[in-house]
Amino acid sequence: MTAAPNPGSESKLGSESFVPHSESFPHPGSESFAQASIDATPGFVVSARSALARFLPALALFIGVLIVWEGVSRIFKLPEFVLPPPTAIVRVLIDHQRELAFAAYVTATEVLYGFVLSAVIGAAVALVIARFAKFGRALYPLVVLFQTVPKVALAPLFILWFGFDLAPKVALIVVIAFFPVAINMLVGLQTVDPNLIALMRSVGASRNEILRRIQVPHSLPYLMAGLKVAVTLAVIGAIVGEFAGAQAGLGYMIQFASTQMQTSLVFAALVEVSVLGLLFYYVIEWLEGRYINWVPGPN
Amino acid sequence: MSTPSSIAAGAPAHIMARNVCVDYTVAGRVNRVLNDVSLSVPKGGFVSLIGPSGCGKSTLLKVLAGLLPPTAGEVTVAGVAPIEAVRQRRIGIVFQEATLLPWKNALDNVAMLMEVAHAGRTKDEIHQRATDMLRLVGLEHAAQKRPAQLSGGMRQRVSIARALALDPEVLMMDEPFGALDAITREEMSAFLLEIWQRTHKTIVLVTHSIDEATFLSREVHVMASNPAKIIEAIPIDLPYPRNEDSYSAPAFALATSRLRRLLKEGHRQAAAA
Repeated sequence: MTAAPNPGSESKLGSESFVPHSESFPHPGSESFAQASIDATPGFVVSARSALARFLPALALFIGVLIVWEGVSRIFKLPEFVLPPPTAIVRVLIDHQRELAFAAYVTATEVLYGFVLSAVIGAAVALVIARFAKFGRALYPLVVLFQTVPKVALAPLFILWFGFDLAPKVALIVVIAFFPVAINMLVGLQTVDPNLIALMRSVGASRNEILRRIQVPHSLPYLMAGLKVAVTLAVIGAIVGEFAGAQAGLGYMIQFASTQMQTSLVFAALVEVSVLGLLFYYVIEWLEGRYINWVPGPN
Repeated sequence: MSTPSSIAAGAPAHIMARNVCVDYTVAGRVNRVLNDVSLSVPKGGFVSLIGPSGCGKSTLLKVLAGLLPPTAGEVTVAGVAPIEAVRQRRIGIVFQEATLLPWKNALDNVAMLMEVAHAGRTKDEIHQRATDMLRLVGLEHAAQKRPAQLSGGMRQRVSIARALALDPEVLMMDEPFGALDAITREEMSAFLLEIWQRTHKTIVLVTHSIDEATFLSREVHVMASNPAKIIEAIPIDLPYPRNEDSYSAPAFALATSRLRRLLKEGHRQAAAA
């Protein structure tokens, strides 16, 4: 965000570069500098050209890898069930688009429910620990202890308890994904400037008022960071949940296709999983840029 | 022994501290961070506390502002204990950092404490008062800007406007310009002097700048560490109106050289202790 080009100052520099110390050149702290930094602030509004420039190296590398992959599988005539070439994967993506779309829909539903529930539970845990110090001291070590349990190992248990449908996947996602939400938000709630809290106390603010007016807004950028970690974990949780037992979904499809040696379909499903994860991630990033456009920290 | 304030002999004290001690207990060891400090500030006075880092000047300010209870001694602000004075909104506080809310604009930051204190009957009343305060600090044009869009000096002005919004009698300022560059500092000094003259607040300023203390204060309390105490209270006879020319006035040079000598002396004592 800070590296975003600053159109205001650039144009001024360009037109008046032969008088570098002219009055109109923005100095830090001067009016025009403040104005220019407003223009540069919304990081989500990146022009198509600069977005392309940013992703161009990654895109070039990606395409390069695909070409080498295609070449290797053709030259060495690798059987398709070992390593299908990218073109074969694309063909499967098109031929099986309806089944893949349905599987993606099932998995996306699991991710969405699981993620939203993780966010709510994670935020609630953080709020409880921050607001009720004594109870928090009891709860926090248990939350951390629970985090050390390998959650994947709980998947069969959830199948046993909740069946083969949506519920066990959502439960698995929640136990995997709520922790980064809780921890990040808790950091945000607890790192408020003590002087600010002293000021609030001095005018008779209650603990709830301090929480609502200062701590919660202050924690939102931290919460968003936690949500970004949680959403990628949610996708993993959904796939693992489907591995443990399911009748539909991309994870189920991957497992089923691999037993059938339909490796191209495995890769096609993997592509859709990645796209799904990216989509969820960027939706959160967009929301963050839209609603939480301030920088945390001292000011 | 600390020297009692020379000015306050006649006038009734608005802020009074008598034999104040503050101990911190760290790992079972008692550390005396403030030893037998007495001072008094008349109503409408401007007093600076100056001294080396760690001399307890910020601690003393915290005690005066009701943020820290003293271990021993007596403190009154407007005749009541500081914590009671805080409750009656007689004390406004400005810290070294502006401590603004980054998600609120300048106007809402000024209004924040008023909202919590229910200092206005309606939202409009609070809004109007906040606008007036921003005008007072010369930032009416920046009302809609967020802290990140303001310079350090402007942020500190917003912080001062926020403190003034509840119309306290006393302004306690803990190195408010310490994070600013030299030129902005001088501008802020002139600005604070003007605010003081227009609002008739009693101001206690903690600073480590000799020039700042001299330019602004009617009286400067010089502090030394180990143990932290006030070694002398110097009245500043710099005539009013004070402005840029005051920095080159003979009285200014006289006062600053005296302060410098006292600070060095305190430094030597601390090093020897």
